[in-house]
Amino acid sequence: MSEQFPALLITVPLISAFFITALGWRSAKPAYPIALLALASALFSSMGLFGEVLKHGKVSYRLGGWPPPFGIEYAVDALNAFVLVVISFVALINLIAAKRKVDGSFSGKSPAFYALYVMFVSGLLGITVTGDVFNLYVLLEITALTGYALIGMGDKHAPLAGFNYLIMGTIGASFYLLGVGYLYLATGSLNMGNLSEIIPTIQSKQTIIFAFIFCLLGLFIKMALFPLHNWLPNAYSYSPPAASGLIAPLTTKVMIYVMIRLVYSVFTPAFSFGHPILPTVFIWLAIIAIVMGSLLALAQKNLLKILSYIIVAEVGYMVGGFWLGNSDGMTGAILHIANDALMTLCLFLVAGNFIFVLKNDRLESFKGLIHKMPLTMAAFIIGALSIIGVPPTCGFFSKWYLIKGGIEAGQYGFVAALLFSSLVNVILFFKIIEITYFEPETKDGHSLHHHVAIPREEAPLSMLIPLAITTLLLIGVGLYSKEIVTGIIQHVLPTI
Amino acid sequence: MKKTGLIMVIVTGILLIAGTTEFPDWADPNSPASSHVSPYYILKAIDDTAVPNVVSAVLADYRGYDTMFETAVIFAAGLACFFLLRQFNRKRAKTKMYRHVPTGIIIDIDEGGKLPEENSNFERIDSQWTPYDLIIKTTCRIIIPFIQVFALYVIIHGHHSPGGGFQGGVILGATIILFAISHDLRTTIKRLSEKMASVFSSMGVFLFAATGMLCLLLGSVYLDYSALSDLLGTDPVMARSHGILIIEIGVGLSVMAVMIWLYYNLSSAGKHNEGL
Repeated sequence: MSEQFPALLITVPLISAFFITALGWRSAKPAYPIALLALASALFSSMGLFGEVLKHGKVSYRLGGWPPPFGIEYAVDALNAFVLVVISFVALINLIAAKRKVDGSFSGKSPAFYALYVMFVSGLLGITVTGDVFNLYVLLEITALTGYALIGMGDKHAPLAGFNYLIMGTIGASFYLLGVGYLYLATGSLNMGNLSEIIPTIQSKQTIIFAFIFCLLGLFIKMALFPLHNWLPNAYSYSPPAASGLIAPLTTKVMIYVMIRLVYSVFTPAFSFGHPILPTVFIWLAIIAIVMGSLLALAQKNLLKILSYIIVAEVGYMVGGFWLGNSDGMTGAILHIANDALMTLCLFLVAGNFIFVLKNDRLESFKGLIHKMPLTMAAFIIGALSIIGVPPTCGFFSKWYLIKGGIEAGQYGFVAALLFSSLVNVILFFKIIEITYFEPETKDGHSLHHHVAIPREEAPLSMLIPLAITTLLLIGVGLYSKEIVTGIIQHVLPTI
Repeated sequence: MKKTGLIMVIVTGILLIAGTTEFPDWADPNSPASSHVSPYYILKAIDDTAVPNVVSAVLADYRGYDTMFETAVIFAAGLACFFLLRQFNRKRAKTKMYRHVPTGIIIDIDEGGKLPEENSNFERIDSQWTPYDLIIKTTCRIIIPFIQVFALYVIIHGHHSPGGGFQGGVILGATIILFAISHDLRTTIKRLSEKMASVFSSMGVFLFAATGMLCLLLGSVYLDYSALSDLLGTDPVMARSHGILIIEIGVGLSVMAVMIWLYYNLSSAGKHNEGL
């Protein structure tokens, strides 16, 4: 059983999608339980795999029984296994919270929603677990395609946003595929482990450099690194809340993981960091992303737009931290994959609750929310503190590593950008929290002068419990981040 | 904006061309692509899988896992299109239009009126200008069965000649689309409902994924068809050949059904009326 985890992890959610679709024609009822079971089994498999990797080291799974480089291999080390747990956890939690949001929407097509949802998750898991650069592309496609459909079913702006995402995502995937083509041309192999053995032996490296640039360019589009971020804010803020809670926390983070994986296990750190200019260029791109993402977030009037621009800035954190090239920067970047996934999940769940009750996410309609939805607001405040980076929430610790790495590498621009972004986040979130303390206006447009108890109108329990779990984890992961770093991330980092 | 776009395209193009300077020569037998893994496939495919067509062996066995997800991508495309376009609860038109085929006279029938019988000379239309072409209809009726037989041949013969599930499935799907174009969408949906198309498309990929799962349950790894040898009563190498056939059929079924499903939703914008 346990040696089959890598295959079960991906195929159980995939197969469940076919059941959901076929059974959906009889009744829409079984769709949700099947999806829930499939994702629970994915979480179980990824936890099992994680335990296995921590105990025995690298796990390799040969699909079809063919040895690499002839067949496709799943290669799991501590880094994948860690990201796998994050993905399957976030997907499951958001699915639980999505139930009430899906009920009644999508006019009779909710089974299709759940089928696309589980296929999206199995694609993300596959991207993370695979040890083959072309298999990664195929799974990238399945994730992208289901993602476009999930985003396109949002409000009236969503189809256009989804279409923009489709164009940009396809360009990104094409660049990645072009890079893989160049790699195959230069090496004749598609297996990551095999590639990393061949690449150092190749004398003339021009084709490899082009492959490297194309792969990274494709990933930068997919992860929405400024100035390639244009598709993201609209796609994430207009999509249905049930889907944005899945797509927003995971997609960009998985792409960051792919970047790390390619640099470590395909192009080798000696090659990637050995280039005289590229790492510095990437760090400066990241600095611009952080500054611009934060500034653009300040200009927004909708909560989801603000959160989307914060994601753009956070992508800069991770890209910059990783390309610092020292162990603190990389530790920060990898830790931030998990932390940012949790923080984004928390805030998107909060936004989902707001939208469920208020029917919109404009900041001016948040007046009085602190009395109306106290529990959701509590989660919002903790999530906000974590994004700002206040201890003991987890956001503080990854930011700490990133700043330490920046100072060590002498990249003071990056350190300044991090501090600037934290400052902007303080302004942003305290502005929102302040609004929620205002009293709501009465119908004739004047605010009440005497205190009237505002009726409580919380989101349903099935949305509050997942939010509570996520919020507690923000603090829990923060308290245990030392253990995570010494127990997991230190095993992954190569010596450069 | 247009100018910056043009400049970027030109720069990217120059980069792409610059990147090709160190490419190996055309058909260079010593190039990495033809000297690293390819010789293994060419030499061993027949011994490993008993499939003479190396492309099929690589596609469906050595890299069969990729192919499973490619099929799943196609399935996802059909599902995404259904999810985005299909309209279940739309307002139905109050009057229905029927045309008397022999005379070409169009009658409007109000709600509650008596509708013509199923096999009468009347046909339902949605707009006044709906051409009726006997020659096209009859020709398509005649050639569709032949195309379908050819499609089955392409699927089954993928082991020995160019072909396989994707190509055969597309040809099969095209016959139904041809029928829908030459007749109308309603007639087609009456013969092959959307539900059938959707269930077939999930069944096809399921057949693929379940074959892989069966190998896993029989004690081997996912998609290792040689584990099916006891079940199929053959030696492990032959079992791989049969396994490839099974999944090719699954791919063919799925691709056919998705083509039809996509056409239903795209041609009528999810309304499932008379279509194009």
